[in-house]
Amino acid sequence: MPFVSQIKRQTDYNLFSSTTPIVIDNGASNFRIGWAGENDPRVIFRNIVQRPRHKTTGETVSIVGDHDTTLLKYFDCSRSGPRSAFDSNVVYQFEIMEYILDFGFDRLGANGSEIDHPVLITECILNPVQSRSKMAELLFETYGVPSVAFGVDAAFSYKYNQQHGICDKDGLAICPGFTTTHVIPFIDGEPVYKGCSRTNIGGYHVTDYLKQLLSLKYPHHMARFTWEKVEDLKMEHCYIATDYASEARLFQKGTKEAEEKTRCWQLPWVPPPIEEPPSEEEIARKAAIKERQGQRLREMAEAKKSSRINEFENQLRGLEFLLQQLEKVEESEISYFLKDTGYVSRQEIESALAKVTQSLRKVKGEPKGEQAEVEEKTDEKYPLVNIPDNMLTPDQLREKRRQMFLKTTSDGRQRAKQKRVEEDLERERKNQLDEKKRLENPELYLGEMRTKYKELCEKVEQRKRLKTNGNNSNGNGMSGGVGRGERLNAAQRERMRLLTTAAFDRGKGEDNFGAKDEDWQLYKLMSKDNDEDDEGPDEDETELSRVSSRLQEIDPTFVPKPEPGPSQSAADTPRSRPLTKEDFQILLGVERFRCPEILFHPNLVGIDQAGLDEMAGVSMRRLSSKDQVLDERLTNSILMTGGSCLYPGLSERIEAGIRMIRPCGSPIKVVRALDPVLDAWRGASLYADAVQFPQQVFSRMDYFEKGEDWLRRYQFQYTL
Amino acid sequence: MEAGLINAELVLPTHFSFKRIQIYEKYPKGQPRGRWKHLKQILQAENYQNFPTDEPNYVNIESPPSMHPPLRICDITGFEAPYHDPRTNLRYANTDVFKLVRSLPNEHVQRYLALRNAAVTLK
Repeated sequence: MPFVSQIKRQTDYNLFSSTTPIVIDNGASNFRIGWAGENDPRVIFRNIVQRPRHKTTGETVSIVGDHDTTLLKYFDCSRSGPRSAFDSNVVYQFEIMEYILDFGFDRLGANGSEIDHPVLITECILNPVQSRSKMAELLFETYGVPSVAFGVDAAFSYKYNQQHGICDKDGLAICPGFTTTHVIPFIDGEPVYKGCSRTNIGGYHVTDYLKQLLSLKYPHHMARFTWEKVEDLKMEHCYIATDYASEARLFQKGTKEAEEKTRCWQLPWVPPPIEEPPSEEEIARKAAIKERQGQRLREMAEAKKSSRINEFENQLRGLEFLLQQLEKVEESEISYFLKDTGYVSRQEIESALAKVTQSLRKVKGEPKGEQAEVEEKTDEKYPLVNIPDNMLTPDQLREKRRQMFLKTTSDGRQRAKQKRVEEDLERERKNQLDEKKRLENPELYLGEMRTKYKELCEKVEQRKRLKTNGNNSNGNGMSGGVGRGERLNAAQRERMRLLTTAAFDRGKGEDNFGAKDEDWQLYKLMSKDNDEDDEGPDEDETELSRVSSRLQEIDPTFVPKPEPGPSQSAADTPRSRPLTKEDFQILLGVERFRCPEILFHPNLVGIDQAGLDEMAGVSMRRLSSKDQVLDERLTNSILMTGGSCLYPGLSERIEAGIRMIRPCGSPIKVVRALDPVLDAWRGASLYADAVQFPQQVFSRMDYFEKGEDWLRRYQFQYTL
Repeated sequence: MEAGLINAELVLPTHFSFKRIQIYEKYPKGQPRGRWKHLKQILQAENYQNFPTDEPNYVNIESPPSMHPPLRICDITGFEAPYHDPRTNLRYANTDVFKLVRSLPNEHVQRYLALRNAAVTLK
């Protein structure tokens, strides 16, 4: 049930005479204030203060209680979080307390020059006298209250229920609150503080636990889990299991009951707009456009080719004409003749001619005998290679060396080409064999492929694991890596050895590693980066990818196992596929009863104290009365009060817990207060209305005269 | 201020007629606000050891550590967890959860441990 705060300003302040006390229930969760004698407090709000800065004016203002978040957008709330005046159930920050009291009195309608009514305010059990005195001082000095009384909220609640017949005058009050849980025995209507017991766990811890668990389970949606939202979730969905172990087992087995008990919270999610598959006409139209484009390109290519052919032919004709002319001309006049044309000698013209014919042939697309031509070239190009050294001039020697070099490189290139061709042929042959095998016996083939895939997967995973494990332990420092008996491979052992030798103190007391050159060599060996890129994609992995692609082709049911990325699998792999509706659902299954379980087992959150059921036993032990009858009377009327006792299933659990520690057959009756949240205030109001109330209060004069010691001993008398 | 009335009701006014000393007088602006003693300091200053020990006081009535056998549950799923991972110090229920435990980033491991108050904090 969502918490509702009432903060409407009351208008009837002046109708109350100045003897009517104001009753305040100052709790760690909520602040309730009202008039004595009434059934309900007038003003209720959360006991927190925020001091944000106004965005435009820049001044710091105070906002008390929790308000609609939309209104808070005018303020910059980033620097200020909500602050409480409490530290565990004791008030320690009186400035914040003052803001809260201001607000409370203001909403009650207070006007006039001072608060002229006696005030009854609740506090925690055995409140330290410092806190009490500061509170009294605040009320007396700042607000001018004539007289003040302090009382314990759980006691008020018990007395109220006693008056209504829910519990007897001897009994136990179990009060799980917001920050603490108390167990108080009552004898003859008065609380016996000697037997009190307090554990520092409460609704706050439960909400916090739930918040942390949800944030860790759904790290994507962490922003959604605000304190208020989680508290709402807690109030709506959490329950207490009668036996934690058996409930957990239900969920572990995944039974249908567990499914029913799991609640699902769907976060708002908009599915991405699905693209409709293009209709037939669309496809046809697109295909036609592509055709046309292709056609155009082809035409352009054709045109270019024909123009080039023409060009080359023209060139060819020109050169041939030139050659013919050259023959007519005499030797001596060649240079003069050729000056205009740009060629120096006859050979040049001939070579140009040859080149042009060749390119013409290429453009026309005739297959040329490449091999033959290359061989020709080699013989042609390297004429000097075969001639022995001593017959050549130095120039020619140089030439020869160059030609040898060229020849070897081209030879090498040819050999590589040969090998590639052979490999291709080999692969083709293997594929054909495979195909044949598959066609013969599809089942067997499939089975073989699958087993091979599994084996390869295993091997690759293992190697990856070794590598990352080794690297992780080495990366986190040598603190525990080797000592834990990890199986490091040879490279890692080597690295460890280097590291230890380097770290070994060389005796001079100074660290001069790095001064000498060989140190840097050592460093390079040690460095982690070198480790990682020496293993390229090794054959296992390539084999694996080949096999998986093959399987994907032929087997429709095969799903390749996703590569486990280093330590991010849980977060990353869902992102690779489009987000579905399920990703935005928050499931509350085990958390529903795991979180309130901390009330019974504070060890779960690291608080080393007794839980609720054990506290009752502790409390009775502390009373140390040997009276069995009294004990029985105590267990016969156990009252549960306080905000955190609203979980379904709490009373059964407490009953079972107390039955474990009491002798068999003793009467146990556990009841819940009429209204666990408001009963404390109601009880206090009842007391403030009584005739004897003025005897319980102390005034300012008393406080100054009698001093702190008296204040320490001041206790409220709960029997009317 | 915007939206006049609504905001005025939201923000605490600075002056109240029923107060003798206003807040801005008590805590002048700009001055460091008083250092309030936390609960631990308050309790220390109380000097409970000077008083008779069987008289109940705030510290006396705290519950002792639990005598019941501790409930060991898996840190991640909440099921019963008989196993314990020596490297990360987390508890886990079965092998699937163990895989998850080993694949968690270190930050999450520390947060799970902090839930149980078992995280090692370096001061």
